[in-house]
Amino acid sequence: MRRLRLILGLGVVVLATSAGVAWATTGATTGYPQPKVVVPTPLQTPFENRYLLTAVGSGAGIRSGEMKFEFEEGSSPQFLVGISQFYLYGPTGEIETALFTFYPPTALPNGKGLGFDVLKVGASTSYGQVSPDGELRLFKPQGETVKGELELHGGGPWPVEFKVLGNARGYSASPPAAKQIKEAEPTAPGWGAKPSEYVGEYELTNGGEDPTAKAATLGPVISVAEGLGAQGTAVGGGSMTVKGNPATATVKLESGGTTHTFTLTDLAWQGDQRVAQVHTEGAGRPPVGRFEGTGAQGEVKGTLIAGPSVYKVEFKLRP
Amino acid sequence: MKITFRSFASLLVLAAVGALAVAGCGGGGSSSGGGGSFASGAEAACSKANEQIAALGTPQQAQVTGYLESTEAVIEKLHSEVAALGASDAAETAYTEALAEALPVLTQMTNAARSENFDAVRELSAGLVRIHLGEVAEAANLKTCAEVPTPSES
Repeated sequence: MRRLRLILGLGVVVLATSAGVAWATTGATTGYPQPKVVVPTPLQTPFENRYLLTAVGSGAGIRSGEMKFEFEEGSSPQFLVGISQFYLYGPTGEIETALFTFYPPTALPNGKGLGFDVLKVGASTSYGQVSPDGELRLFKPQGETVKGELELHGGGPWPVEFKVLGNARGYSASPPAAKQIKEAEPTAPGWGAKPSEYVGEYELTNGGEDPTAKAATLGPVISVAEGLGAQGTAVGGGSMTVKGNPATATVKLESGGTTHTFTLTDLAWQGDQRVAQVHTEGAGRPPVGRFEGTGAQGEVKGTLIAGPSVYKVEFKLRP
Repeated sequence: MKITFRSFASLLVLAAVGALAVAGCGGGGSSSGGGGSFASGAEAACSKANEQIAALGTPQQAQVTGYLESTEAVIEKLHSEVAALGASDAAETAYTEALAEALPVLTQMTNAARSENFDAVRELSAGLVRIHLGEVAEAANLKTCAEVPTPSES
């Protein structure tokens, strides 16, 4: 994490000096040349703002982010330049920081909005360098919401949604997690083609030592803190029973010195995707979260979100 | 030399009388090696702290800052109460010191939450795990202090 902060710090310095963006209340000084294609200023003006990423296609692997667009200071005709700081899910579960600038602006067909090339700011081998990494399309703001599409690393486009923060507001540290938009929501009932594939008793296979178990009075606060990250609260042990038609699941998880019981309803599947609604006070009460994961051949693994708590679980059907 | 010796002897007598007086008047003194008063006092303080922690429930993310502030206040009070009891052996001292060690970590976590840096809150919590407060409490024969409070459903 310290290394990430260092990289981020260096990246920001780079932005502010060699290749990047010096921000002021009057506008940005990026050093980027006047774009060859002129976009009418009235089309750009609605986008000059600070934004919080509120929703993103789950395939993009972006947890959260913040973005800002300002007119290049002294540019004539005026052109917008953007900068963003995204927090990405790393391959091993850690959060990585990525910096992007958005330049040059182009007008989307039919006055739909603005498009920008996404330029990735080098942070490890090429400080100060930017390289094309995709495209961002922003549609006309609707109130405080701006929707759009993002292409990154050759993937996408993924839907994105930003909330306008205004220049007075911003996040001094990691912004809150954006809602992950599923591209294709499973709709087939159950967790497989035949009940015999998924009905039965499961055992938790990723249980480990519960760090809160020996933490005494500090146990609950550790449990709460662990639930805030992307990795999820540590689970000491647990089980799951799937039964009925339509199928429901009862999940018991040991964490924070307590056994938590959840009821999963609306089990649905498509391919290897497995989803369900999560309840803490029985199926008759409103859901407090969601289970999303994958499954096949008697195994189900994924993320169980219940209110503020996030659990990473892996279950195996007992023979 | 005689005068000096006599003065020294007088001082010794005075010191002995003073020590006896202090021991006699202390009553609730807990550092005399009894151990029981520390244990009962600490267990009572822990019981109260655990109730307060349990009553906080499990917060939504937007409530985490307040939750951490409240937890910090409870642990700070617990530490001051336990410290005031005066530990009589190494295990009791270790428990008192473990509570003291938790306080700056909780402060850092609260500050991180105020900055909405929830990833940092999570990372900092590893500092609390490393304290192994439950094991330290068990070593000091503090059963209530070793218990993990169960957050109330809210």
